[in-house]
Amino acid sequence: MKSYDAAVIGGGVLGCFALRSLCRYRLSAVLIEAQADVCMGITRANSAIVYAGYDNKPGSLKARMCVRANRRFHELCSELDVPFSRCGSLMTGCGEKAKAVLEKKYRDGIANGLEGLALISGDKARKMEPMLSRDVKMALYAPMTGTVNPWRLGIAACENAVHNGAELRLNTKLLTIEKTEGGYVLRTSTGDIFCKAVINCAGLSADMVQRMAFPCAVSIETDAADFIVMDKDIDNPAHIIFQEKENGKGITAVPCTEGNLLIDSAPRAMPRPFATDAAGIDSIKKQLTALLPELEQDIIRAFAAVRPNPHSEDGRSINDFCIETPAPGFVSLIGIKTPGLTCAEELGRYAAKICADYLNTEENPHFDGRRKAINCADDDIVCLCQGISRAEIIESIRRGARTVEAVKRRVGTGMGRCQGSRCEVRIAQILERYRNGTL
Amino acid sequence: MEHYDILIVGGGAAGISAAKAAKGKKVLLAEREEKLGGILLQCAHRGFGGDLSGMEYAATLADDLDNVEISLNTTVLSVSENKTALLSQKDCGRREISFSRLILATGAMEIAAGALHIAGDRPKGVYTAGMMQKLVNCNGFVPDGPVVILGSGDIGLIMAETVAKMDIPVTLVEKAAALGGMARNRRRLDGLDVGIRLGSTVSEIFGEKELEAVLLSNGEKLLCKTLLVAVGLECDRKLIKKLENPEWLRLCGNCERVHPMIESVINDGTQAGEWVCGI
Ligand SMILES: Cc1cc2nc3c(=O)[nH]c(=O)nc-3n(C[C@H](O)[C@H](O)[C@H](O)COP(=O)(O)OP(=O)(O)OC[C@H]3O[C@@H](n4cnc5c(N)ncnc54)[C@H](O)[C@@H]3O)c2cc1C
Ligand SMILES: Cc1cc2nc3c(=O)[nH]c(=O)nc-3n(C[C@H](O)[C@H](O)[C@H](O)COP(=O)(O)OP(=O)(O)OC[C@H]3O[C@@H](n4cnc5c(N)ncnc54)[C@H](O)[C@@H]3O)c2cc1C
Repeated sequence: MKSYDAAVIGGGVLGCFALRSLCRYRLSAVLIEAQADVCMGITRANSAIVYAGYDNKPGSLKARMCVRANRRFHELCSELDVPFSRCGSLMTGCGEKAKAVLEKKYRDGIANGLEGLALISGDKARKMEPMLSRDVKMALYAPMTGTVNPWRLGIAACENAVHNGAELRLNTKLLTIEKTEGGYVLRTSTGDIFCKAVINCAGLSADMVQRMAFPCAVSIETDAADFIVMDKDIDNPAHIIFQEKENGKGITAVPCTEGNLLIDSAPRAMPRPFATDAAGIDSIKKQLTALLPELEQDIIRAFAAVRPNPHSEDGRSINDFCIETPAPGFVSLIGIKTPGLTCAEELGRYAAKICADYLNTEENPHFDGRRKAINCADDDIVCLCQGISRAEIIESIRRGARTVEAVKRRVGTGMGRCQGSRCEVRIAQILERYRNGTL
Repeated sequence: MEHYDILIVGGGAAGISAAKAAKGKKVLLAEREEKLGGILLQCAHRGFGGDLSGMEYAATLADDLDNVEISLNTTVLSVSENKTALLSQKDCGRREISFSRLILATGAMEIAAGALHIAGDRPKGVYTAGMMQKLVNCNGFVPDGPVVILGSGDIGLIMAETVAKMDIPVTLVEKAAALGGMARNRRRLDGLDVGIRLGSTVSEIFGEKELEAVLLSNGEKLLCKTLLVAVGLECDRKLIKKLENPEWLRLCGNCERVHPMIESVINDGTQAGEWVCGI
């Protein structure tokens, strides 16, 4: 049986950063992920926003982590060579109720120590963002809000962890946990693993994973949100635009680092995980027309996200990050939703530190946090919509991509207008040749 | 930087015809695939220029191009306002050229399932019909049945015939009250076992990893492993999106408008070639 000091369960953005943070210490670490690639769960479908920190209650863990993480985000992304755009955000309101919400967020933001936050008039907002509807009466401007591609960030952290000696086991599902002398035996679909410490980042199943070994007072209940993606090269807003309506949260429009505009909706009930809802998509389109009337709606894809909502035993919903340590050396991140992406590195470091303290290990002087993005284009263009070449695809395979989907998440193939109709076959052939050793 | 009188982007029927008509000029015909012919190369069915298959027809088209410099495996990456273009040629590298006239003959793209934003899951097994046509006719691929085809235009009809002839169960779903496409393509289904659902569309997709079923708007659920989306083509004008109708540019073939018949594509290409020569 293979044995490690620490094991991370689940390779979402949180697990990837937990693994990378473990590498900052002198210890052996492994990550196990049930799917064929990392970042295929919640991390695959979210709003991609690096939050400023005005949405969170002053004094909460969320608020502290979010503000700190946001300040450090540029540095983190240059270390990992992942595009980050600090485009700023405008939270818009049209009526009295929204005005009250914006004012509260402004006060909370100031209390959380944010700089540059400003409440501005509708006209001022339209000067900054000429596409905004005339109905917008006021806005909360936050210059520090930004956007990052969530799976690119997670994959980069994971690559960097592997570079620093951590191990990655894909297609490996954790089935049960057995407590033994000095640690845990993890029974997985690909064999048993022994570890002294565990970081549970199993996303939607994190409560269940903890119950494999301990009781868990937190339960995850799920609902869903719909998203649409527009083609690149349309005239996008320059800022992230939040819509605060008189009856609550409206849509959010995010000009992504890839050039597409991503629009999400308010939550809805979820009959089937990750399945989109026709009414939900129609309603996004209508709200978008009201918010940005001149925007060309050139939709190339719709998808749905699953939101993990943590609840306590008496059924109350928990608003802060839930970090449980049911035993020394066993840390669970349970139901981490917004701003989990923003705080991924903070949360990873926090959990890794708990493990390192438990294992009584020192810092690793050889840890190298730098990672380089794929940058080796050649002249054989495979993905025509995005202009991605064969050499880049091969490099993504060298770095661990084993499926067409995994290649897509690394280099962006198939994410343009034709959604892979024209390049999927060629990419599958390249993967096949790689497997046969005939590349 | 090398200069050409005419740069033709795309070596399908339209681009080839334009090149032939552009006599006496210094012409560069750039095609990103390894062979000329475009969409014709994936058409195994008969019905081009009488009774030829698309592949045979492409072969007859591509001779008699002696006066033209043909650059295969070459993608035109960008075209700019100052009449230069950036080309990327497999194994040879990138190069910039300048030109006096540009003929765009980049064809059309299928509308992908993503643009329809059908509700439900996003499993494997959803293809555009033209992509499946290429897989079947050029790569010997056999789709998993049962197959549902959404849209009964010419491509939907031809793929229904192709799949039925492979003895795979197939159902054609069409929103309108009658089948679309040309009459001669509708006749292809005569005597074949093809299920037809008119006045209906696919409203939801089921299958977490692999496709399992589709729900139709009439409430019927069809079990299937493959869904082919054949809801139409859109002109591929990505290269010129940022240009503002310069007088040195001409579009022909399917990137100008979608042509159902090869003859009109050839006409269009020929006229474009003659037009640029005339100035
Ligand atoms: C709709 C939505 C929008 C959001 N928008 C934002 C935003 O704009 N900004 C922001 O900061 N945050 C945002 N968030 C929050 C952020 O997306 C999440 O906090 C973060 O992605 C959670 O990552 P994760 O690693 O916990 O989960 P996941 O990505 O789901 O990873 C968990 C992994 O565990 C694996 N796993 C589960 N069980 C097992 C098992 N038994 N064995 C092996 N592997 C297992 C799963 O396969 C999965 O890969 C949003 C969340 C949602 C839902
Ligand atoms: C499925 C199908 C079935 C048909 N069946 C029939 C039939 O039975 N009978 C009939 O008469 N007609 C039929 N047609 C109609 C007709 O044959 C086609 O419309 C015609 O062949 C299109 O020619 P084109 O040159 O405009 O486009 P295409 O054939 O699509 O050629 C475009 C070319 O441009 C190249 N290209 C694109 N972008 C670039 C770039 N940036 N750089 C370099 N090269 C580029 C592409 O690789 C391609 O080779 C059919 C059409 C389709 C789609």
